[in-house]
Amino acid sequence: MANNLKILCTKLSKLRLDHIVTRSAVFTVKYRPPYWYQPKERVLSDEYLTQDNKKFIEEFINDRKNTQQELESPLVNGTFQISQQWNRSTRRVGLVARKIGNYPIWSKDGKKMQTTLLQVVDNHVIKYIPPEEFNPMKTTELKWREKRRLGCILVGSETIDPTTVTKDYTDLFSRVGMLPKKHLFRFMVSPEAALPTGTPLFASHFRVGDYIDVRAKTMDRGFQGVMKRWGFKGMPASHGVTKTHRRPGNIGAGGEKARVWPGTKMPGHMGNRWRTLRGVKILRINTKYNVIWTLGVAIPGETGAMCYLFDTVLPLRKLESSPPFPTYLPSNDELIEYYDECVHPFADRTLTFEET
Amino acid sequence: MSFAIRRTTELIGATKWFLRRECRVLSTLPEKTEEPEKVVARKRSTGRRLFKNEAILESRHIYPEFLPDPNPKWRNSLREKLERADMLQRRSQIDIPEFYVGSILAVTISDPHAQSKTNRFVGICIERKGCGLRAEFTLRNVVDHQGVEVRYDLYDPTIQNIQVLRLEKRLDEKLFYLRDALPEYSTFPFDMDPEILPEGTPVPINPVQVKLKPRPWLERWERQDLKGVSNIEEHLKEKDRVRRELRKTPWEKYDLMKQYRKTIPIEDQNDIWDEVHNQLQQLQMAKKKTVRKRTFVTPKTQLA
Amino acid sequence: MFKELLNKINPSKLSRSFHTTTCLNEVRLLTRLRVVDNSEIGKRAMAEGKPPKVICVYNKQRVGYIGDRVMVAIKGQKKKGILVGLKQTQKVRVPKFDSNNVVLIDDNGTPLGNRIHVPIPTILRTILKERTHSKGADYTKLLAIATKFV
Repeated sequence: MANNLKILCTKLSKLRLDHIVTRSAVFTVKYRPPYWYQPKERVLSDEYLTQDNKKFIEEFINDRKNTQQELESPLVNGTFQISQQWNRSTRRVGLVARKIGNYPIWSKDGKKMQTTLLQVVDNHVIKYIPPEEFNPMKTTELKWREKRRLGCILVGSETIDPTTVTKDYTDLFSRVGMLPKKHLFRFMVSPEAALPTGTPLFASHFRVGDYIDVRAKTMDRGFQGVMKRWGFKGMPASHGVTKTHRRPGNIGAGGEKARVWPGTKMPGHMGNRWRTLRGVKILRINTKYNVIWTLGVAIPGETGAMCYLFDTVLPLRKLESSPPFPTYLPSNDELIEYYDECVHPFADRTLTFEET
Repeated sequence: MSFAIRRTTELIGATKWFLRRECRVLSTLPEKTEEPEKVVARKRSTGRRLFKNEAILESRHIYPEFLPDPNPKWRNSLREKLERADMLQRRSQIDIPEFYVGSILAVTISDPHAQSKTNRFVGICIERKGCGLRAEFTLRNVVDHQGVEVRYDLYDPTIQNIQVLRLEKRLDEKLFYLRDALPEYSTFPFDMDPEILPEGTPVPINPVQVKLKPRPWLERWERQDLKGVSNIEEHLKEKDRVRRELRKTPWEKYDLMKQYRKTIPIEDQNDIWDEVHNQLQQLQMAKKKTVRKRTFVTPKTQLA
Repeated sequence: MFKELLNKINPSKLSRSFHTTTCLNEVRLLTRLRVVDNSEIGKRAMAEGKPPKVICVYNKQRVGYIGDRVMVAIKGQKKKGILVGLKQTQKVRVPKFDSNNVVLIDDNGTPLGNRIHVPIPTILRTILKERTHSKGADYTKLLAIATKFV
């Protein structure tokens, strides 16, 4: 009986639940940028260049962009050897995608499903930081410690013109031989899934039917009242209620602790927070434009916002079979569109039901 | 804004041309031989633009769901492109004909609930809304003295056939007033024969003025500017007439920005129709071929 | 008199009221329904102009959907019925009717009339089959008396 209890306890402790940052006045999140972060924006003043010079600079930058695009992935070259195999506890790199909109898709049962489109634009691995060197700043108080040490991969999306950003920011990239990217995100990765600089990442890194977690900043709703922000019920619209229809009502109890507790729900700024949506199913992938269709429209953020995509952490939806590890290598025999088995492609014939 | 600017430049050009003509008549100097060429050249350039504009004008009424939602928050060129590609793929499987609000359609869907697994409904289209793959239309009919309305998704893969029995337009864009009208205006027999219009005729506009049943109504029809209703005035009281005057918004027709926000600018529309026009033309040709094949029936030879 | 009204009241200042939703046309408690079969009670009630009123919707939300069982009060009696057509805006492909229709049944599911003179949505077939249990009431009997499916 004691043995069974021990086994139960160990199993429960192994259940992974990520940090949930609470909106409390006591445990505030302290934002200090990590050591590798550099300020990005610079004041663009009018450089009095001649037309020819401007054209020359543009051509030069376009050449550099094209050469970077045409560079073969180090995985294909043979310069990097894929040593390790995938197992269920490895964490591999994720993708940086942009939410481009929603539209409906029909399943083979004839049911309409709303899907969100996520476009993976020009992702490249910038740097891999092994676990020994990786020392991030702590954003929340640690409730439990990860036993395995994870490395960090910096992934950038959307190459930009180096003249539009600061020199320090460009140096971050040029130190490893890349052009600067518009967005730079990091993914926690097990050391077996390390990737060399310059590896391009594509949408086929995930497969159709897999479940992913999407982490993005929610839509900024500004200063909101207590009904929209916390879901309070408010007061009736009539029956003698005076000037109190959307107010919070009581904010504390009396007695010894007669004060307003820190963390009391009140009106304030709502939105523009990092939130992770777990277990989102992938329904369709387009390899030409690197677009992923996901089930549901609850992806945080507005159209055009960036989000992190990575393999789900949920125990029942985790990867069972080996995915493209450490990442997907483009091949000649890939299709343009991949559909999940439950999705009815538009090019297929009209759905009919058989008589039973 | 661009169409406003273009209109003013056209006006300026037109007035200049007109003034020049008048001056030529009144002046004593000999006519220059260059002017007629200039005039012709300008006319030709406007002619080419007009021709392309006409083609666009046609498409935006025939295929209104190809134009995306004008709200700039939700617009993204790649997503619209993928959506249009999906729409064309579906159109290659089934013929979605040209129809307007007021046309009578017969829709056959594959229904898992019905015994024969198919379901056919005939009705007049009272509403057409939505952009892209979300496009929907509603059909109304009166069956056994019971009014029935059914909504359908245009790009639903369970729709087996959409047949236009009578292609026509009405005086209003939405025909919700048929719910409060006498039932004879919404009754259409299920075994109605399709009325085929000769090729090339413009879509007929049915100027029928519907009679409404006495009040109570589902909406305040007197406050909406409806052209297809005949006897609203006899059902109104003084109070309604007064309130209608108070509720009127005569300044709305001068609100250019409001109209601009509701529409897609002409430059974007040009790009969309350029992308999509060829395939739509091909589908139309294929449809015409099948129609011609169907009408010609080989006479059956009698066995001796 | 009307000119004064027109001059005084500015339409933009007229609204000082609560926000209300659009008319949902739901079938809930005390809704008046239209009996659609040819049972004696039903015909008499509709002819007199005293349509049945809903007393109970057998649903967690207490709002009726197509195929839901309801208890109605007709001519001073309590009868059970099944909702057969709704005025509420339905999902795509489900028909919407111009009146809320009900077919009167007894506790075993046998309808009181022997003909339904109004079209019935096909989705009822699936819904009623699901509701019917082998030992309980058989609701699919009313599909047998229906004349037309839409």
